Amino acid sequence: MEIKILGMGCPKCQRLEELAREAATEAGVTATFTKVKDVGAIMAYDVMSTPALVIDEQVKSSGRIPHKGEIVEWIRAAQGT
Amino acid sequence: MNILEYLLGLLQTGTGNLAAYLAAHVLLCLLPAFFIAGALAALVPQEAITRYLGRRASRWVSYPAALLAGSVLAVCSCTILPLFAGIRKKGAGLGPALTFMFFAPASNILAIMLTGVQIGMDIALARILLCMVFGVAIGLIMSWLFRKDEDAEEEAQKANSGQAFAQRAGVPRRIWVFFALLVAVLIAGTLQVGPLKNSYATFTLPAAWPGAFQAWLDGVVPPNPALGIEGVSVHGVFLIGLLALIGVTAWRGLNKVDEDVNGWTYAALGIITLTLVVAAFKVTAGPQGFAVGITGKLVAEIVLLGALWVLAVKVMERDELQEWLWEMWRFVKQIMPLLVTGVFFAGIGRALLPAAWVQAISGRNTLLGNLAPVIFAIFIYFPTLVEVPVAQTFLSLGMHRGPLLAYLLADPELSLQSILVTSKIIGKKKTAVYVILVGIFSTVAGLIFGQFAG
Repeated sequence: MEIKILGMGCPKCQRLEELAREAATEAGVTATFTKVKDVGAIMAYDVMSTPALVIDEQVKSSGRIPHKGEIVEWIRAAQGT
Repeated sequence: MNILEYLLGLLQTGTGNLAAYLAAHVLLCLLPAFFIAGALAALVPQEAITRYLGRRASRWVSYPAALLAGSVLAVCSCTILPLFAGIRKKGAGLGPALTFMFFAPASNILAIMLTGVQIGMDIALARILLCMVFGVAIGLIMSWLFRKDEDAEEEAQKANSGQAFAQRAGVPRRIWVFFALLVAVLIAGTLQVGPLKNSYATFTLPAAWPGAFQAWLDGVVPPNPALGIEGVSVHGVFLIGLLALIGVTAWRGLNKVDEDVNGWTYAALGIITLTLVVAAFKVTAGPQGFAVGITGKLVAEIVLLGALWVLAVKVMERDELQEWLWEMWRFVKQIMPLLVTGVFFAGIGRALLPAAWVQAISGRNTLLGNLAPVIFAIFIYFPTLVEVPVAQTFLSLGMHRGPLLAYLLADPELSLQSILVTSKIIGKKKTAVYVILVGIFSTVAGLIFGQFAG
């Protein structure tokens, strides 16, 4: 599973990454985490503002920090469990 | 004077600047302002404003919306640039998007408050009003200059049909009330008017040590009105101590408050409330002890803070409060360390920089006098808010108020990094024109203001 954090390195993006990693551990899933910092690459996704969470190339949230519980749900859904 | 004495003297100036700063400015103006910034970041849905920025919207709607977006939606450049990229991507016109990007750093509530309290409300107001006018002007000019590019882009964007700009989002009434109370706390704490500042009752806390302590403080950190150095009062030391306590409790209680509320969270909130109340007393240390005055400010703050607590506990949703506190604390962590460092070095800079140089270049309201600080601002980067203590240093060294405003306008707008990122979003040519326009407008604004401010 590939989890991407879109953002230009601000505290919100760091918090999102932190929560995403915790969520993946909670869901018992190993995932590769990538931080997309380049504004051109970020604009390639369909987001209005950062931070944004992308799981397996699907944008799950943008412009806010979702709750860890939500992230766990998305990871589980993407895993198919 | 030997080198050691000299260095100690510098250290003294830096520390003195810092201590006076923390006790006076931070508490009464920045602390509530951080809470407001946090509330803006957490509680205002972006869609409520960005939906008016689409290309289809009439100019009378999109430009005011861009101004509103700038003032409400973004506090730090880490939000401004991505949001600018986002709304451009989603089809916002070049004009409104640039107006947003220009006005956002200028309308930062923290910067406005700090400018007003430390340098003067006249400059703070001039800063915001002129940026409003110039923000729209720059947007309109850019939009006109590049209208052919814009028309081509609109054709290509037809498929997108402005989906992003059709969303609906409202702001619940409790959030309006919450904001009103937060703003009221800020105003009650900082507005310099008689009814708030005057003491309506005084009493004395007898003790022998306050007088001696104050004398000692004045010796260690001598007030120097000529250099604009306020001293530190005993009251101030007590408040600095409370600030340190806030730092410790908040670190444990607010770092992860978005996910998890613990005992430290309540401790931090309690101490913050206490600090704001203590700061509102008027306390003078004398040989008899403390002369304590009950000010109008104190009464107002107690009432308002009480109302805030009631609203938070009974009406606001838990999620909202947690997100609000997380945003507030992350702004503090992001901005305060750099501000503290900036204040310290600005204090030292004031002692090191020859006033003659500053006065020779910008002592009077000339074209060069205004242009020089603008060019300085564009190339030298200062973190958010640090431009205020730097400006204060320039002012105390003799810079005229006109060039001072020019500097304050230009500094938050541009840095080499923001220029680089902007050119990735709208291209090198448009960015170059934008930078030139910002430079021209800042210089002109300074010249105009300087004529009136004299």
